Amino acid sequence: MVTEKDKRTGGQVWEQWKEFVWNPRTHEFMGRTGSSWAFIILFYLVFYVFLTAMFTLTMWVMLQTVSDHIPTYQDQLATPGLMIRPKTENLEVLVNLSDSSSWNEHVQILDKFLEPYNDSIQAQKNDVCRPGHYYEQPDNGVLNYPKRACQFNRTQLGDCSGLNDPTHYGYSTGQPCIFIKMNRVINFYAGANQTMNVTCAGKRNEDAKNLGDFTMFPANGNIDLMYFPYYGKKFHVNYTQPLVAVKFMNVTRNVEVNVECRINAVNIATNDERDKFAGRVAFKLQIIKT
Amino acid sequence: MSEARLGLWSSMTSKVHSCSGILWPESSFFPLSQWLYDHRLSTKELEEKYGTNILQGLTNMRAAEILARDGPNVLSPPKETPEIIKFLKQMIGGFSSLLWAGAVLCFIAYLIEFSKDKSASLDNLYLGGVLIVVVILTGMFAYYQEAKSTNIIASFTKMIPRNALVIRNGEKYEIPAEHLVLGDIVEIKGGDQIPADIRILTSQGCKVDNSSLTGESEPQFRSCEVTHENPLESKNIGFYSTTCLEGTATGMVINTGDRTVIGRIASLASSVGHEKTPIAIEIEHFVHIVAGVAVSIGIVFFIIAICMKYRVLDAVIFLIGIILANVPEGLVAAVTVSLSLTAKRMAKKNCLVKNLEAVETLGSTSIICSDKTGTLTQNRMTVAHLWFDNEIYQADTSENQKDQIFDQSSATWTSLSKIVMLCNRAEFKSGQESVPIMKKIVMGDASEAALLKFSEVVMGDVIERRKKNRKVVEIPFNSVNKFQLSIHETDDPNDKRFLLVMKGAPERILEKCSTIMINGQEQPLDESSVKAFQDAYMELGGLGERVLGFCHLYLPEDEFPDNYSFDVESMNFPTSDLCFVGLISLIDPPRSTVPDAVIKCRSAGIKVIMVTGDHPITAKAIARSVGIISANSETVEDIAKRLKIPVEKVNKREAKAAVVSGMELKEMSPEQLDELLANHTEIVFARTSPQQKLVIVEGCQRQNAIVAVTGDGVNDSPALKKADIGIAMGCAGSDAAKIAADMVLLDDNFSSIVTGIEEGRLIFDNLKKIIAFTLTKNIAELIPFLIFIIAGVPLPIGTIAILFIDLGTDIIPSIALAYEKAESDIMNRKPRHKKKDRLVNHQLALYSYLQIGILQSVGGFFAYFTVYTVQGFKPDLLLYLRPLWENDSLNDLEDSYGQEWTKYQRQYLEWTGYTAYFVAVMVQQIADVIIRKTRINSVFQQGLFRNKYIWVGIASQIIIAVILSSGFGSIPVLNFTTLRIQYWFVAVPYAIVIWLYDEFRKLLVRHYPGSWWDKTMYY
Repeated sequence: MVTEKDKRTGGQVWEQWKEFVWNPRTHEFMGRTGSSWAFIILFYLVFYVFLTAMFTLTMWVMLQTVSDHIPTYQDQLATPGLMIRPKTENLEVLVNLSDSSSWNEHVQILDKFLEPYNDSIQAQKNDVCRPGHYYEQPDNGVLNYPKRACQFNRTQLGDCSGLNDPTHYGYSTGQPCIFIKMNRVINFYAGANQTMNVTCAGKRNEDAKNLGDFTMFPANGNIDLMYFPYYGKKFHVNYTQPLVAVKFMNVTRNVEVNVECRINAVNIATNDERDKFAGRVAFKLQIIKT
Repeated sequence: MSEARLGLWSSMTSKVHSCSGILWPESSFFPLSQWLYDHRLSTKELEEKYGTNILQGLTNMRAAEILARDGPNVLSPPKETPEIIKFLKQMIGGFSSLLWAGAVLCFIAYLIEFSKDKSASLDNLYLGGVLIVVVILTGMFAYYQEAKSTNIIASFTKMIPRNALVIRNGEKYEIPAEHLVLGDIVEIKGGDQIPADIRILTSQGCKVDNSSLTGESEPQFRSCEVTHENPLESKNIGFYSTTCLEGTATGMVINTGDRTVIGRIASLASSVGHEKTPIAIEIEHFVHIVAGVAVSIGIVFFIIAICMKYRVLDAVIFLIGIILANVPEGLVAAVTVSLSLTAKRMAKKNCLVKNLEAVETLGSTSIICSDKTGTLTQNRMTVAHLWFDNEIYQADTSENQKDQIFDQSSATWTSLSKIVMLCNRAEFKSGQESVPIMKKIVMGDASEAALLKFSEVVMGDVIERRKKNRKVVEIPFNSVNKFQLSIHETDDPNDKRFLLVMKGAPERILEKCSTIMINGQEQPLDESSVKAFQDAYMELGGLGERVLGFCHLYLPEDEFPDNYSFDVESMNFPTSDLCFVGLISLIDPPRSTVPDAVIKCRSAGIKVIMVTGDHPITAKAIARSVGIISANSETVEDIAKRLKIPVEKVNKREAKAAVVSGMELKEMSPEQLDELLANHTEIVFARTSPQQKLVIVEGCQRQNAIVAVTGDGVNDSPALKKADIGIAMGCAGSDAAKIAADMVLLDDNFSSIVTGIEEGRLIFDNLKKIIAFTLTKNIAELIPFLIFIIAGVPLPIGTIAILFIDLGTDIIPSIALAYEKAESDIMNRKPRHKKKDRLVNHQLALYSYLQIGILQSVGGFFAYFTVYTVQGFKPDLLLYLRPLWENDSLNDLEDSYGQEWTKYQRQYLEWTGYTAYFVAVMVQQIADVIIRKTRINSVFQQGLFRNKYIWVGIASQIIIAVILSSGFGSIPVLNFTTLRIQYWFVAVPYAIVIWLYDEFRKLLVRHYPGSWWDKTMYY
């Protein structure tokens, strides 16, 4: 019968399958003899070794063309982003005054984060620079390496320095410090030779109300030009990123407050619709007191 | 009545289903006598039964009532699958189901995300939507293509409205045939198509052509007497759709529409199951492979992802990506377009394909069962040989008959030509002065027409000559006399004698002769000349030709003066002691292109079987002349004759050829038929009825052959349906045959089938190339997901970009491959084996997936790493970066240079990576389309620029990629970015390697046929 498919019983299917896996007549495993398998495996081995070699070669050539110090292009980094410390999940800083474990982690993060800023370390490694001026270290034909960095002393953070601070950056008293930093971008002259500073505000009206007063360190939230430009981690070995600390004095308790901080600099746009962190940072602050 | 009909219906259908292998006894195929007994009723009984009056007809009112009851007298078109079902089939068939699954997974993923977080990203929702749009669009496209090709045929088979002359209220009306009802009295005349099944009431020399119904090619007399129990055989029934050739008749309508004999056969045909076309099976096979790969890789990596502690939701999204990457979304569209392009090309070569898939079926054909008349032959009687002066001369039987090279100087020829010219009633239809002689329409029967045309060609203006030799009296041919006679004045004004000319069956003519003309001289007819006549007669008859004898007599002037009045009734003139002049034999000659086509078939491994209703001798002669029976092969009978032993003693294995008559076929068991088909390579079935064609087709299919069958009659339709590819004749074919067929041959020419086969084989090869081309990049789309899951790098290519490759850049190049010329003579290889020569074999899959595909992926990754590196992320940093990379709140991710990146900046870089990978795949697909031009030859042998469409395709790839990466693609969701110019060329070295490697592969395959390399690398 041509029209009807041969009805195969389960047993036959199993037999066929068994024969496919190992055919004792032809000594075929999965439809191939041993030597055929050997050939195939050998062939693919050779083929993939060749491919790997080719890939390695092309990658090596490509890597030869890039510098170790500066990326070839910085197409996506025209506007540096802003970020906060402590860095938390979803950028929500939650402080429960009756539960120290809710903020202990933040404090530990900050302790660790601020350690390189200790005045002693700074003094040992970095230069004292002229404020208000870019600290340029051009190569001028000779590789100027490693490049020096300017001091940013922890004491500059005032009440938020956490030095001899029983309140743990204010977290235990409900007046937390949030540190704001601007992303490093190589050879970026932030501020275009004019002063710049960070300002913070509640996102909406009620946020502004709930936010209450805050103090900024250094004063006004200034970021000095001497910390720029950044020369990349290979050159600029001990580079210390400038920080702005914001101490929130009397945030309304038990309310989630949306805070947005942005940098006011001539050459940093803060209104990019798609990149919510270009020149600004938004975070949530909630202090719970039961 | 209705119960009886139902019973009949089921018995008829069950006949067909149980008929495999069992011969249809013709009488029981149509147990008509059970329901059609009107032929046995008297006129009175008929009048009573149908409430009519044979003189007055029905009243208009009564007719309207019956029309309302029975419906119009038309065949209902075969039950069509409703359009919506066809459409839905396109929507869920093949890969669509995988894509639907992908879309559903997308929506589920979105819903899960949404239930957790109201502001969840809409990406999955968009992707699901896009997938559905893709499925619907490709489905609509395939449906449109399918519908377009069906429409061609629909317009083609549209019935021409016909009128019928009917008597109603005692008056004659001309009404559309479809308004006829039971009991109507109709009048028919020569040239009419019989408008319904009718019982003949009166007949004046009415002859009908029943060939489309019964296969009898001879005109049949119709009269009002019952001549047979079986209504099909009885002469007093005229059947719907047969034609009345001459005479007139009146008849009473006894069946209309689907209840006519033809209607029943037509619906019977539609109940014969149609098997899946080979290409449909192949594509199904291919879909299974791809779906299998997609689903198994998907599941494996789903499990891996879960084991690597990815969230289930992420694992689901990976699964979607993997499915999407694996499914060649554009392939179905490309295949459909390629098939319809080929269908168009075939239509130009006179093969009109109804079902797109039939295009390829034709290519895999291994047996052709061909009709003789009209398909292998020219379907017109033509003078083939002449015998006079004791010698046989050959006439030119080609289509234009230009070269008549026989000796025309003999005086015998002068006499013979005169008889041929004068003793002939056929005439050219007027108003054809500008038409070439061979194309002129002739009124008269086939033999007379042949002789008329022959004399017109050889002697020129026959009509004028006839006028000069005025006809005095004539006796037309009849089956009792078996001769035709006429008496003419001569064109010689000095010769007052009358010339009596006669033609007819040679032995009857010879009986009437006492002398024979040799070289213009009358000689007594002695024994030796009778022997010469017998030999010539036997020889010409043995060639399957119809032989006519010619003789004449100049009547003595004294006995038959000028004013003698000849009387046909009393035959007052001599009809014996005439002078025999010569013989002329006629044949329906083969079309001149057929022998070549048959040779082509033979070298292509296709068996040609002739199936004809003609006499075995004629059939064999034609089979020999076209090469169906080749010059050196013999039948059992030939061997017996040569060895002078009885037929039974011949070793049947020695005979390559066989001529089997319908009677013998009837006696055969299916096993015997199988044996016959298997053991003889050259077979002719003669004297077969159309029903036996079905038996032959089934026999061939039992040999695992893919069978093409030609047919024109209504009764052929079951065989046409049953065959793997039914080929109806465009000119001679009945509508029912055209409906049942998969293909319509517009010029009825056998050689068109062969060109069709060539195209079909070509498209099979080209589909391989298309699929190989399309499958390759699926790996390049899949690997990124696998690396992404395993090595935790940022995603190299997004799902949308994948869709843009599959449905954008790759579409036109893959279609362009359909225009690729054959690499070698495809008509020199055997037809493909249904089970062994798969469209997608493991060589194709492995070469595309594991070699070129992997190469492409490596090239793509090279482009990807390059883009990341130059922007600051070196490859070592990328490994396992994914958790940080995709962390939304991490907006200061450090790169290899100490710079910090926000989430959006990284996102944008990721899109740039997609674009780079996309462009890399596109560039390598350019190399891929070039290498796929050939499977074994070098691309340079094939000609790099011979197929212009490939370059159109390559241009389209580049243009689409440029458009996408130059702003248009940066609209949300599409996620393309502008790529720096130099990154367009990153993958070029890989593209070149692909080309070189494939040339190397082909070189080895060419140089070491049969080697391990050939077996493993040739797809």
